[in-house]
Amino acid sequence: MTTQVSQPASPIAGPIERAINARKDKKLTTGTLGLIGLVVVLGAWQIAASAGWVDASFASSPVGAVRALVHMIGTGELWPPLLSTLESVAYGMIITVVVGIPLGLLIGRSNTLYGLTEPLVSIMYSVPFVVFLPIIIFWFGIGAEARLVIVVWSAIFPLLINVIAGARNVDRHYLQVATVFCAPRLLTLRSVTFPATLPFVLAGVRQAVGRALVGAIVAELFMGNAGLGYVVQTETSGFKMDDAMAAIVVIAVLAIVLTRSVAWIERRFTFWSSSV
Amino acid sequence: MAPPRPKLRVRDVEIGHRSGRKGTYALAVDGLSFDVAPNEFIAVVGPSGCGKTTFLTAVAGLIPISGGTLELDDHRIDGPGRDRSLVFQQASLFPWRNVVQNIEFGLKAHGRLDAAGRARVAELVELVGLGGKGDKYPRELSGGMSQRVNLARALATDPELILLDEPFAALDAQTREVMQEELTRIWQADGVKAGKTAMFITHDVPEAVFLADRVLVLSRGPAHLVADIHVDLPRPRTPAMKRTPEFLAMSDRIVDLVMAQSQIGKQAQPGRRVTSDDHAGVAAG
Repeated sequence: MTTQVSQPASPIAGPIERAINARKDKKLTTGTLGLIGLVVVLGAWQIAASAGWVDASFASSPVGAVRALVHMIGTGELWPPLLSTLESVAYGMIITVVVGIPLGLLIGRSNTLYGLTEPLVSIMYSVPFVVFLPIIIFWFGIGAEARLVIVVWSAIFPLLINVIAGARNVDRHYLQVATVFCAPRLLTLRSVTFPATLPFVLAGVRQAVGRALVGAIVAELFMGNAGLGYVVQTETSGFKMDDAMAAIVVIAVLAIVLTRSVAWIERRFTFWSSSV
Repeated sequence: MAPPRPKLRVRDVEIGHRSGRKGTYALAVDGLSFDVAPNEFIAVVGPSGCGKTTFLTAVAGLIPISGGTLELDDHRIDGPGRDRSLVFQQASLFPWRNVVQNIEFGLKAHGRLDAAGRARVAELVELVGLGGKGDKYPRELSGGMSQRVNLARALATDPELILLDEPFAALDAQTREVMQEELTRIWQADGVKAGKTAMFITHDVPEAVFLADRVLVLSRGPAHLVADIHVDLPRPRTPAMKRTPEFLAMSDRIVDLVMAQSQIGKQAQPGRRVTSDDHAGVAAG
């Protein structure tokens, strides 16, 4: 239930309706422009490949990639790597959420814990996680567990940073209302602290999902024996550029679907937040 | 003619707090004494920064007093209690709860959100003039509407004493006028008796005179009582009353008292201390 839906549609367009329509128009224009940009680049690529300006066996081509994708779907050879990647992301996110949210709340609510962990969390968030890849391989090998470690490693820090910020930024006034009305501790936690933190938590989850996918693909590229990243890696090694490109297209679609889904959940549950 | 049993008894109250980097002990309220009778609406005015909000916060039980006694219905106030509620200066509504859910919060906190409680909330939504807006969220409300919700939330728990901390300070002039009128209407309409016991903090003297049965003037900090003025204007009060000579004379008199307290360097005459049974009116003539 968004606020737009709850507002009655006025037959006469007032300034607000006009502003909303203008924004919709602008959105439409941005969407159209984006599409044009995409078509131009793909078109140039296709022409360059078809005209022989670039070697299609090196550079692939949009038509080739689509043909390879249709073939992969037809034979069903797309599904096992797709499921494998999704599985890595799903398990990684479950661990990230189950560990990250309570840990973040705990750190955020305790000044001592915050002081102790803040520099560490910031450093771990800022350093590109791929630099730890050799060490993780050294510690955990190249099996499924190691891949899971990489997914969690890359996903948990953006979540932690957001949850900690959320827990530390619960408006003092909200807590004062709870105190004045003698709200029991549990009710304060459930009805005040939790909803006040929720926008931060969901923003963290959205970032974490994106990073989890990156982690999963990187793990598959370097140490996998399954998954979309592994497909890109092996097909490229086998000079089958069309198949590699097809796998990349699938990864791109997956990335968009995952982050958009979380963004939708965000709007659904924190529609009341003025910062959305 | 003071009633035999006061609702709120304030005796020699002293509130201090440590401030600054050195943690020097500063008094915000020093030797404040007065009584509030049941069903009485009192307004507290004073120069800004004199400690009136600090005092209100202590009555709400959010900060401790360092001396004297503070009793509500003969019980010492030593923390927040269900017998009091507070109308905050900032509406402080929960943005994730709609109007009805925000008003329900106090009852929910008390574990009293049953059928009767819900009926009470529905009644209050109408009373504060938010009929049909029960499912709106705070981001969709104007400042005036937010303060109506804030007020209804405080009334919902049926407190013995309702504390109002400059609730209209952040509103524009017109909305403020409307809300003052609304508050007298709501206060007179709510409850079977003449209205709830209320303590209203403000720095706007006409607002205090318009709303209250009694206006207390506090000195510049540390606050003590300078004047205790009975407002004998008839009720129900209408906006037209603000232009009557009686109203203007009383406002002017109180404004003078507050101004005398505000002026820096005029410490030679801090004003005679009065107690609540000193109903003679203006102390510092």
